[in-house]
Amino acid sequence: MIEFKKVTKDYVSNIGKEVKPALKDISFSVKEGEFVTLCGRSGAGKTTILKMIACEEKPNSGNVFFFGQDTSKIKKGQAFAIRQQVGFIFQDFKLLSYKTVFENVFYALEVTNQENKKTQDDVMRVLDLVGLSKKFNRFPRELSGGEQQRVCIARALIHRPKVILADEPTGNLDPYHSRDIMKMLMKINEGGATIILSTHDKEIVNSIKKRVITVEDGKIIRDEENGMFFI
Amino acid sequence: MFKFIKKVLKGGWSNFRRQGFLSFATSLIIFIVVSLATSLYFFEQGVSFVSDKIRDKMDVSVYFKENVTRESILEIREKVIKMPEVKSAEYVSAEEAYERFEKNHQDDDYLKSLWAIQVNPFSASLLIKTNQTEDYKAVSQYFKTEEMAPYVREVNDYKRGMVIEKFSNMANTIEKVGFFLTIFLSLVALVIAYNTVRLSIYSQRMEIKVMHLVGAKNNFIKWPFLIQGALCGFFASLVCLILFYVLFYFLKDSLVSITEGFDIYAIYMNNLSLVIMIQFGTGIGLGLISSYFAVRKYLKG
Repeated sequence: MIEFKKVTKDYVSNIGKEVKPALKDISFSVKEGEFVTLCGRSGAGKTTILKMIACEEKPNSGNVFFFGQDTSKIKKGQAFAIRQQVGFIFQDFKLLSYKTVFENVFYALEVTNQENKKTQDDVMRVLDLVGLSKKFNRFPRELSGGEQQRVCIARALIHRPKVILADEPTGNLDPYHSRDIMKMLMKINEGGATIILSTHDKEIVNSIKKRVITVEDGKIIRDEENGMFFI
Repeated sequence: MFKFIKKVLKGGWSNFRRQGFLSFATSLIIFIVVSLATSLYFFEQGVSFVSDKIRDKMDVSVYFKENVTRESILEIREKVIKMPEVKSAEYVSAEEAYERFEKNHQDDDYLKSLWAIQVNPFSASLLIKTNQTEDYKAVSQYFKTEEMAPYVREVNDYKRGMVIEKFSNMANTIEKVGFFLTIFLSLVALVIAYNTVRLSIYSQRMEIKVMHLVGAKNNFIKWPFLIQGALCGFFASLVCLILFYVLFYFLKDSLVSITEGFDIYAIYMNNLSLVIMIQFGTGIGLGLISSYFAVRKYLKG
């Protein structure tokens, strides 16, 4: 389903033109329905992996395959087609501040031309799933961090994506909300969705007991089913 | 296609409405540009009116000798009127000149002196207006030729000619200076308006990025911003249209009396469709174009 083949990525800083390697010759694959956790310290390269799946970044060498399609060969203007098959959950939520909760979730359907009366009902069902159906007409600034993250999850789910990418979804949340979010993600995975979670939270990694890929200095140093967080 | 248009219109209107302060600030700046554009148009109208008024008062007065008959003067008039430089030539008989003097100086002591001499001191004359200010010399020279010497007593143009030229040059200068000043101010306002729109879209650059990440195509992201910009321009122009209407309505009497006839309100109403085109064209155009260039930068990424 998703495959990285000898992928290398360097970032060049604007000042001094310093080259910083982000990923060094990494290879791995993710099957449909898997729950994979990418863990490692900050700056290890976890987010870069997620960005490459979503076509936000291209590898300097190697290939990234998304359901058989080589994303490194996709032109910038065509990246939307891949992104419409991906649900993204961000650490900082990234909600559209001038749209209500309902409109933020519905936006994911509008961009995929799936909006109609039936899908409007689907939005309310998903909001109910994440416990926010009563706050559908609120704006993001009127919600707590945990609630905003739940809206983000709802938006990531609504268009039934092939894979959900969660980049440090609990990074800005307290332990109570973090636990709720993780429960939700587990439940979504049980429903058949493929989830790739990026985190450096030891408690979360150890509680999930799913496949863990450990990234350090741009390299995969460990890849285990039922993995644990290792320092 | 219709569905897409409906979506982007709804999105643009929603953004405009919900970002109240930002929309107001942008509309205000566009309003200034539209006001300047409108002011430039009416300034040109005003200067043109005043210049025409001044030029209308300029004429060459040719006074004939007492022995010259009315028929001869009218013959000369017929010749003069065929000259390409001449716009009109009015014959004023001696009696008519006397009557005009009486009318213009009703309360003056001049009249008492006139009645005392019991003779009409005025002679018949031709009041000649030319098409261009520069043509006065040619016409005046014609009446100073030997051919005209037996008929013409005096050609009154020399001193008036200097005044004519001075006023004409002054009117031209005011027109040019005013035009360039307004263009300059309009450009300054245009740059400020463009940057205001850019700043408002800059403040939404993260939102544009999020829209990209969620899978929106460039057109789907871009068009609501363009609609938002156009709406700012539309409302700015609407306010400008109403404001100028009210302003001219209340100013018209004062202006008419100061300028001896420049009815700005009548000009506004008679040229309403052109004024609307200027205002809405400037406002909506500025909003659209500024938004286009501002949002394009963030779509490239």
